[in-house]
Amino acid sequence: MGQWSLIIRQVRRSSKQAVLFVLCTALSLTTLTAFNGFSDSVARSLLNDARKLHAADIIISSYDPISAPVDRMVRILAAEAKVKRADIHRFLSVVRAEDESATVLAGVKVVGSGYPFYGEVKLASGRPFHGVMAPGACIVEQTLLDRTGLRIGDRLRVGYATLTIADVVLSEPDRPLNFFSFGPRVFAHADDLEALGLISKGARIRRRVLLKVADPLQVDMMAARLKAVAVKDQERVETFRTAGTRTKRFMDNFFFFLNLVGLFILLMAGLGIQGTLSALLKEKQHTIAIMKAVGATNRYLLRHFICLVGLLGAAGTVLGILSGMGIQRALARAMAPYLPADLHLVMAWSGIVEGVVLGGVVVLVFSFLPLYRVREMRPMLIFRKEAVSGTAKPPYYLAAALILVFFFALVVRHMQDVRFGLHFVGGICALVAVVALLTHGLLFVVRRRAFANLAFRQAIKGLFRKGNATRSTILTLSVSLSVIFANFFIERNLDTAFVQSYPEGAPNAYFVDIQPDQKEGFLRTVGTDAELFPIVRARVAAINGIAINREDERKKRRDNFSRVFNLTYRHHLLENESMAKGDRLFRSEWSGPQVSILDTVAEMHPMTVGDTIRFKIQGVSLKVRISSIRTRTKSSFSPFFYFVLPEKVLEKAPKTYFAALKVPPAQLGAVQRKVVSRFPNISVIDISQTISVFTRLTNRLSRIIRGFSVFSIGAGLLILVSAIFATRAERMVEAVYYKILGAGKTFVFKVFALENLFIGTFSSMMALIIAQAGAFWVCTVRLDIDYQWQVFPSMVMAVSTMALVVAVGLAASRAIMEKRPVSYLREQTDG
Amino acid sequence: MAILEARRLCKTYEVDSRRITVLDHIDLQVHAGTFLVISGSSGSGKTTLLTLLSGLDRPTSGQVLIDGLDISKASEEQLAPMRNRTIGFVFQSFHLVPSMTAKENIMFPAELIGDARAGDRAEQLLQQVGMVHRRDNLPSQLSGGEKQRIALCRAMINRPALLFADEPTGNLDTENGKLVLRQLIELKNEHNATLILVTHNPDIARAADRVVTLRDGRMAE
Repeated sequence: MGQWSLIIRQVRRSSKQAVLFVLCTALSLTTLTAFNGFSDSVARSLLNDARKLHAADIIISSYDPISAPVDRMVRILAAEAKVKRADIHRFLSVVRAEDESATVLAGVKVVGSGYPFYGEVKLASGRPFHGVMAPGACIVEQTLLDRTGLRIGDRLRVGYATLTIADVVLSEPDRPLNFFSFGPRVFAHADDLEALGLISKGARIRRRVLLKVADPLQVDMMAARLKAVAVKDQERVETFRTAGTRTKRFMDNFFFFLNLVGLFILLMAGLGIQGTLSALLKEKQHTIAIMKAVGATNRYLLRHFICLVGLLGAAGTVLGILSGMGIQRALARAMAPYLPADLHLVMAWSGIVEGVVLGGVVVLVFSFLPLYRVREMRPMLIFRKEAVSGTAKPPYYLAAALILVFFFALVVRHMQDVRFGLHFVGGICALVAVVALLTHGLLFVVRRRAFANLAFRQAIKGLFRKGNATRSTILTLSVSLSVIFANFFIERNLDTAFVQSYPEGAPNAYFVDIQPDQKEGFLRTVGTDAELFPIVRARVAAINGIAINREDERKKRRDNFSRVFNLTYRHHLLENESMAKGDRLFRSEWSGPQVSILDTVAEMHPMTVGDTIRFKIQGVSLKVRISSIRTRTKSSFSPFFYFVLPEKVLEKAPKTYFAALKVPPAQLGAVQRKVVSRFPNISVIDISQTISVFTRLTNRLSRIIRGFSVFSIGAGLLILVSAIFATRAERMVEAVYYKILGAGKTFVFKVFALENLFIGTFSSMMALIIAQAGAFWVCTVRLDIDYQWQVFPSMVMAVSTMALVVAVGLAASRAIMEKRPVSYLREQTDG
Repeated sequence: MAILEARRLCKTYEVDSRRITVLDHIDLQVHAGTFLVISGSSGSGKTTLLTLLSGLDRPTSGQVLIDGLDISKASEEQLAPMRNRTIGFVFQSFHLVPSMTAKENIMFPAELIGDARAGDRAEQLLQQVGMVHRRDNLPSQLSGGEKQRIALCRAMINRPALLFADEPTGNLDTENGKLVLRQLIELKNEHNATLILVTHNPDIARAADRVVTLRDGRMAE
């Protein structure tokens, strides 16, 4: 007898359970495969187009003027015709119509001849960029024209210069237009840079020198030479291969969250694999008992069922990879505005192999416990006198340890961060443990309660039917739902706190780059006694004498020390600040420079009062001692500073001023025009509008992530359906006996509906409680915003979950409910 | 010499923290080639005794020796080959593997030990019980009597020394019951096997070499 033909026949006989197992396996792989494939496609596309995306071979970037040694070397290389050079300056500035009738905050990009060396700046007219981008001209984004009412040929004031709008930019190689930005793009020619008058000391200007290398083989060597002379911690020299792009950074961060979702789904679907396989083996336990009764050894049976699981696992893996390809396409459509236009989706062989290997390991890990239970099924089961005895504890622990190790390894592999892996796996374990404990407690209480209503009582009894998988179903559903609900609550609260009802009294306009000699004039112009915060731009060079490794810092996903910070000086706490360590900002008993840090800084790197920080302020070192740690009492749009120093330490440093004002929205345009017409270098940022744009983007991404999280519910529902199929015989007996004893169809329907309703209610309520608690903690402790309980959406989500569970449960039980007693009894006699 | 021996065999169950004694110190010796009937009223412990004697279950105390070997403490892995080669079973509810054909069901125990002649042996047995024409049918396509004849063939394929039958005619009509019993005894005699049969049917008991009766967990002969 061919073992495979027997296996295939067994699969056919348990086709429903087999399908559920295959679906769970597919579910476990599909999203992760899709995300991996998609991320590979994007990475490949970005790498293929790297030169275009950077518009150059070598990119030198700095917030400060390019240093003399680098400038000198570039000049020498250019003189030797080894490179071509194009300088770029990027900054925010409020641009105005010539008659000052309209103002818009714009992202100004001043480009030298030659830009872009690779790729293309597409213009609405179809003309070549180089032909249009001439001194005295500017090229703008359509949004700017829409907002100001200006047209091509009109004059636009940028800083102190007035330029003619020559064309409309449709796309630029080194920035996808749909990315979040403070304002529309304005291109100006490098020859007009001086005339703009916006390059003042301390202003936030991003400088780039783009180089096109004549001999492509020399790119790395030249970059190394430039790196050798560049000012450390100030200038970055990268090649098109090593430099990150906004698209890549954005995608990396997005994929980070998508991967988390994928891993979460894998875990939930893994539990589904375990649940459905247990149900399938429960269906087969009679066969197993017979086989054992006629002498089959455990080894034989294990080999047999491993083959069966392998066959189904292979089918699930193939289905998972295929559906992953489909999801990849859907994801590409959803993300289209943020992706390179010519993104070519591919599923590389390496990805397929990885999917197959992952599928094999997932099936193996999550099948371990159910397969182990085959050992414990006794031949006595043929007499139905002995249920499967509970699995001994060691295999349980071994299975749990196996899953944990596998999951941790997978998280670390995907996230490339052991610490994060520990936190993530720990968090998920804690969540599962809490849900398991609550489920246990809830079922314990319910089981001991006496209910008067018969249908109610029978439904509760049904929950404890052998093989009903009530616990696994509730656990999987609750864990999945709590993650989805929590994500929704946090998003809604952020929305409520910052978008729907802009915080009362919070400033809605930021004025940046106010020069010291403009202070008085600025205050007179805005007509209020606004507090002006001095800003000195600096980098953190070392903490406690240990130099900051900027490359390592840059790899961190949270805020880190790779960036430039805004230092300020004052001697008082702000309204929304309190002392976390120390009783005052600075210590009079200490001599030497001091700094008060925000607790956020101490979270970025362990440091405390008494530790030292070395700043680099425009090349000058400043070593300070931490005198206190502050904390913010409330998140709002009021300005806050990570580092506050005494005035005497920073008063001589190059600085600008910053003001945050609450301006009636109707007057904001007029105030902006007034300020900018007098001080063209001052940028005004409309915070409420910026937040709206930003929120639209994050909401879209959040919806995509939540959309995928919904897949994890699928695992819970598959376990539910599989448990219903596995307990088909018991349910059938119940249904038939109810009918024989005179109960109508409605009663049977009511009992089964109630049973599923309990599962749905327990799951959704537990998920709601956990999600509300988690979201409350995130919002009030981590984000410092007021929390709203979102009662109505909670009710809608809970009711939807209940309805879904009842509908799925009843659909799976339909055949059982409709069974006629006589046909069932005949089947039993025929046995 | 006794091929099967039970020494002070006890079996108790705990139900809702109450201890129920099903078998109470049973002593029994069965010699090779005997046809032994275990009878008794419903709930007297007949099937429990059969499961203990055949190694399907473990006694709470006491010993079961097959050919002098104590099986009451043997592991599942030690019992499996014994069930395969030394013991054959015929159950009241047939217990055929639903996904195997009639012939596959018969061959299965022989295939487990890699018997290359499993197919021929199965054919021979099918012929003996007049079921050759049903060899490729699944159990669901067979009648009760046919299923039991297939189960009988399966029990005999490895020529076991001990044949246990639990109410083998209990689910059959009189005619089929008689046919199955006749074939069971024929096969037993042909292979000189020891048959231990549980029944409460006095007609069957009359055909036995020896009858033991169970009453409230105790044995009377």
